[in-house]
Amino acid sequence: MKVSTTRILYLLLTCWLLTGCSQWRYDMGVPISSNNLPAQKTPLNEVLQLLGPPLRMSASDTGFIMAWEHWDIRENSIGITLGALGADFFSADWGEMRVKGEFLLMTFDHQHLLTSATHSDWDNDGGGGQAIQPFFSFISVVDVEDLIGPMPQHDWGSLLLQADLPSALNSGSNSDTGQEGLQQRATPKAVGQQSLEMD
Amino acid sequence: MHKFTLLIALVFCASLLGACAQFESKRGVEVNWQDTVTNELVNGTSTRKDVLTLLGPPSQVIALGGETALYYLFEHSEGEGLILIVYNRMRINTRYDRAIFFFDEHDTLTEFATRLYPADES
Repeated sequence: MKVSTTRILYLLLTCWLLTGCSQWRYDMGVPISSNNLPAQKTPLNEVLQLLGPPLRMSASDTGFIMAWEHWDIRENSIGITLGALGADFFSADWGEMRVKGEFLLMTFDHQHLLTSATHSDWDNDGGGGQAIQPFFSFISVVDVEDLIGPMPQHDWGSLLLQADLPSALNSGSNSDTGQEGLQQRATPKAVGQQSLEMD
Repeated sequence: MHKFTLLIALVFCASLLGACAQFESKRGVEVNWQDTVTNELVNGTSTRKDVLTLLGPPSQVIALGGETALYYLFEHSEGEGLILIVYNRMRINTRYDRAIFFFDEHDTLTEFATRLYPADES
């Protein structure tokens, strides 16, 4: 009877060490109060008083554009691996991601008066996957990198001094410079102005 | 065999103790736009030189025809994690302290706004 108990305990411990569940939560920015969007022709100073400085801004032909955003990203994954037993092979993983967000875009004319305001919010499945990798773990089944990156303002100076040719040739149309419009996080590079930077 | 059971129970208990993690990441320009500093600025009177003297170089300069905007950004992320091997949880909060200043073609301040989260006020 004692042998049986030991074996069961040993088996439970092994299973327990093989399995792991991970949850990542990213909360970026603060929720946007969209109940009372300012009316057209509202002066810029009133908008800034209400919402604070924007998170993204760009010049435009008719004035300028400002955007505020909030992201809530939830990543869940579960995996079985032999890593806990010292073996660097075989893993089976499952993962999923949920993305909630808000984006508020406003345009202003040269007189600093609001010309349009639009707000969107979403709560979507952000993707995921399953994998069985017998030898080495090459692939992560959930990819959030393009959603959680730093703001483009940090790279503003270096954007103007890019050395690699496709990007350097396109620097005049880059949406991160604050001169040529703006784009939301995770916009695919295969569309829009950034497609010119692709090799 | 009794020793085996004891050993397994010991390993099990030790792993239940788990671990925790805490980290933070700060990037961007030095936060110099506390109210005590920006109270010195007056729309229509202060100049771009005054702002640059008080706040230092900005994160971004935006040309708006004859006007200019200086944009300051400080990004602060704080993370907390619970690591129990079988269950791991990480939570990362990112907040953005920022300030924006508009100047006319004569480099005179026309409008400005700031936002600072309490944790970064000191």
